[in-house]
Amino acid sequence: MGKPQRISLKEAAALINDGDLLTFSGFTIWRRPMALVYEMVRQQKKNLHLFEVNGGTHTEVLAGAGAIKIWESCWVGHELYGKLGEGVARAQVEGSMIVEDYSHAQVVARLIAGAYGLPFFPTALSMGTDILNPKFDMLGKAGMRDGSNPKIPLKKYDVIKDSLYDKGDILLMPAANPNWALIYASQVGDEGTVRVFSQCYVDSEAIKAADKVIVIAEEIVPDSYLRQEPEKNLAAGYAIDYVVELPWGAHPTGSQFFYDVDADFIREFYQASKSQDAYAKWADKWIFGVDSHEEYLEKLGINRLENLRANSVLGYSTSIKRGTR
Amino acid sequence: MTAKNYAKDYKPIDLLAVAAAREVNDGDIVFAGTGLPMLAIMLAQVSSSPNAVCIYEAGSIDGRPIDLPTSVGDSRCAYQASIAAGLTETFYGQLHCGYVDLAFLGGAEIDKYGNVNTTVVGDYASPTKRFTGSGGNPDINSMARRTVFIMVQEKRRFKENVDYITSPGWILPKWPSGEMVPKQEIYGKFFTGGPSAVITNMGVFRFDENGEMYLDTVHPGFTAEQVKDNCSFDLNISRCKGETELPTEEEIELLYNRVDPEGIFLP
Repeated sequence: MGKPQRISLKEAAALINDGDLLTFSGFTIWRRPMALVYEMVRQQKKNLHLFEVNGGTHTEVLAGAGAIKIWESCWVGHELYGKLGEGVARAQVEGSMIVEDYSHAQVVARLIAGAYGLPFFPTALSMGTDILNPKFDMLGKAGMRDGSNPKIPLKKYDVIKDSLYDKGDILLMPAANPNWALIYASQVGDEGTVRVFSQCYVDSEAIKAADKVIVIAEEIVPDSYLRQEPEKNLAAGYAIDYVVELPWGAHPTGSQFFYDVDADFIREFYQASKSQDAYAKWADKWIFGVDSHEEYLEKLGINRLENLRANSVLGYSTSIKRGTR
Repeated sequence: MTAKNYAKDYKPIDLLAVAAAREVNDGDIVFAGTGLPMLAIMLAQVSSSPNAVCIYEAGSIDGRPIDLPTSVGDSRCAYQASIAAGLTETFYGQLHCGYVDLAFLGGAEIDKYGNVNTTVVGDYASPTKRFTGSGGNPDINSMARRTVFIMVQEKRRFKENVDYITSPGWILPKWPSGEMVPKQEIYGKFFTGGPSAVITNMGVFRFDENGEMYLDTVHPGFTAEQVKDNCSFDLNISRCKGETELPTEEEIELLYNRVDPEGIFLP
């Protein structure tokens, strides 16, 4: 508890052990802690267990590197810039990754339970679907619901009859409490107060649910500035363990009011993600071919980054070409 | 009433967007996914339904984007929103508590009861192909009063049984037994509605009293029999009331110049 510790990107990635259960900030291709994900690949993390409300480019970077053993989520892709999560799909079809599907609101329920210190959170959403088919409990099939891993619940879900208002059956979704929340945030105060701009996704729940939290901050600002408008803040400094200040740390995903999604970069990655060979070439260039985040930015070049820079009033870039007209 | 000025020239995707926009009632609270659903709700808002509002699952409530978003997490979704929050708010604070009138969603496969698959091809335990996965599709479809699916019409997509029920239709498996029962029986007092229409590049489909899909209108240039030939299940075409209303010149103008002037979804 107390103030978070300022560390380097390499130190941050080194804290994560093979086999740890991770969750992330952001939403599909927005506000993902990409620089940290690249560094984890550089440090060759293995057997990671991901619990995430939805997947995105960061998931696919880890999947291509063969770093994921278990993926519990509901969706993976790159939105308009890559329609599938090719790495996860390939691993699921080959059987090299355990994929446990829930619905989006069900994974949110699991994170809410974890955030609020509850064993479960009820939901009536997505009942009557194959998500609940007992044959498709993949962690159960793998014999991993025997209680030996404290991060894996004894059941995929439970059902109870509402005994209070007699509304019928309702699902109970087990809490998720990851070892780590890996967060990218817009601003972090020098005492650790966290602020994100615009939609907050499930960033607050991810921070509260996790045992330990690393925040990649776009910028570190005086806490006194953030405390002038406390209603805009997401988390208190004592909830954060480590902070790394890293401008452009979410690239190629977008960060509202700082920079837009780098669509061309994600499209190129998506093409590479379709085969292991192409992924390896891509990773040689963008992950192993640079030793630091600064080298990565240098390789991207100032013109590319300036083009992505957000208009300070609108919150997104007005100079990128997005369509055909 | 003046006669409508129907467009002489339009693309199939334009008709899809226009037909979908016409499903919006003025004042509806609409929960929309990425792509065509965005075009449909934004077209409705600038034409027939100025009081309709839009929720995107990543956290924007009643945004008023001046530039078309390319995903539901996009900064553009939250421009001038009444609330920029997160998924706990959209799924529980808006959807589960009952605000949502209409959902606009997509799907890879659908059966005659409106069960939709967006997860895998083949047996889930050893699939031959994975799609993106559920996302919020089944959640939004669970509790919106009406859901409109926008899909591509192909025989392999309109199936007797979908490979995996990602999103709930009108007749569903009740687990753990898997017995197929009406949606009302599974949702009890949480029941609010279900799929109301499916719009494809060939026609508009609705659901009858038994929760079975039928052809409501066929798009100009196709016959009801051709639509039936592009379904693997035995499609009821007996209730088809004729051709789908064409887009108007004004709707096409709004789509290309106001909703998607950059050519993001309408190249």
